[in-house]
Amino acid sequence: MKKRGVGMGCMWYGVGNTGLPNPAGAHVDILDDGTVLVLTGCADIGQGSDTALAQIAAEEIGVRYEDVRVVSADTGVTPDAGATSASRQTYISGNAVRSAARAAKQLILETAAEMLGVSQEEIIAGDRLLKVRAASGKSQAFTDCQSECRVGLGLDSGSDTREVSIAEVIAKCRMKGKLTLGHGWYNPDTTGLDAETGQGRPYATYAFATQVAEVEVDEDTGEVTVLRVVAAHDVGRAINPRNVEGQIEGGCAIGMGYALMEEIKLQEGNVLNCNFATYLLPTSLDVPEIYPLIVEDPEKTGPFGAKGVGEPALIPTAAAIANAVYDAVGVRITDLPITPDKILAKLKEKQNKGA
Amino acid sequence: MDKIKIQFVLNGETRQVEVEPDLLLIDLLRERLGLTGTKVGCGEGDCGACTVLLNGKNVNSCLLLAARVNGCEVVTVEGLGSYDKLHPLQEAFIAEGAVQCGFCTPGMLLSAKSLLDVNARPTREEIARHIAGNLCRCTGYTKIINAIEKVACADRHCACSREAEEGR
Repeated sequence: MKKRGVGMGCMWYGVGNTGLPNPAGAHVDILDDGTVLVLTGCADIGQGSDTALAQIAAEEIGVRYEDVRVVSADTGVTPDAGATSASRQTYISGNAVRSAARAAKQLILETAAEMLGVSQEEIIAGDRLLKVRAASGKSQAFTDCQSECRVGLGLDSGSDTREVSIAEVIAKCRMKGKLTLGHGWYNPDTTGLDAETGQGRPYATYAFATQVAEVEVDEDTGEVTVLRVVAAHDVGRAINPRNVEGQIEGGCAIGMGYALMEEIKLQEGNVLNCNFATYLLPTSLDVPEIYPLIVEDPEKTGPFGAKGVGEPALIPTAAAIANAVYDAVGVRITDLPITPDKILAKLKEKQNKGA
Repeated sequence: MDKIKIQFVLNGETRQVEVEPDLLLIDLLRERLGLTGTKVGCGEGDCGACTVLLNGKNVNSCLLLAARVNGCEVVTVEGLGSYDKLHPLQEAFIAEGAVQCGFCTPGMLLSAKSLLDVNARPTREEIARHIAGNLCRCTGYTKIINAIEKVACADRHCACSREAEEGR
């Protein structure tokens, strides 16, 4: 008989390397035509960091996303950004790129302030324009915007009509012999861990998530089918919601594989199942319906409030599935993967105890 | 070893090549003809990264001897669209976020094409079944299936687009 069950898994995860310095650097060059060149050591292995970093640079400087060109992970030209690991790149390299972008923008603001005859604080940037903020007091000072991680700079509200384009400002800069280059780096605020007590500040920020899985367990065969996974992830702020969804969906699939299928079998140090016919990955027919829920609670130290989501996406899945199996058939499997033979053995054990 | 002379149509163009009897199609495509869009994943027919179309059917080019394509039509990802004009499936994969690391993508695209060519309106279940031989480690398949479904729905025979046209 097939029985259904629902289970939940929760997690927290530190973003960045544990209790170690793990800085990232970035260079930003605003070119003559307003194109923004970002140099970052951050390796985009498919998670979409090039996209997120381009968005961060565009937002900070006030140009469009398509104006930004990212050169990443070329050790010949890009500054070190550490590894693409520990769910750290959006947070750490994101901060480095934002800091570099801010430095380059500062040079533009100085010239723009002269051109517009106002102080730098009165200028707001967006959509390739620098505008003078109206004195109505409706909108916040620029520096407040930055500290509160506001992405939308509210161009429509409270600006007066005086404006110059970023391209015009750059032309003026060049006439004065001024290049618009910025560099920045970021190292998360951590401490080493005390050798005696294990106490310290291992991470600057944490990601949180809860996932709920619904499964169907066949009591006769021990087979588990994952029907649905709902995955709620606090990502601070989703720089690119579609990419975040993609990370969550992929993570749930990997977590499902970890829960039910994937196991490296060793014999005297040799891997026995070293191909995809014997080490099973979830296929398109195995993955459940996945419903990603993005929870946004902006992280004060993150670029525009962002944290990380790469690894968190797969951490609670196996726990949620194991709990769902318990809910369905009343047996608790504590070693992964939850294979049919383990379920059948536990069911038999339970039956014998009851008899 | 004597070479074998073969002639086949590759991405719409007739090609004549001489191949060793044990040369695999994937190696002919990548090493001899420079078409590196087709990927080598496992080399054992398990992962589908090397998928190409052989007379319209999706096959693993790592399991096929090059000599076997004599007289056949082969399509690789390079024949799917051009830089100027991407194939609708490529457009949909980009728009839906169906590409992460990209290693499975060429094979996925061709498997998807081989499905839509014979079944313009597949269900999600049919799509999932058809691409089950193409492993993806990044996406969880959701957005890949969304992208293929989007192209299927853009087909004018699809019920979804008819409903949209009729303003339902």
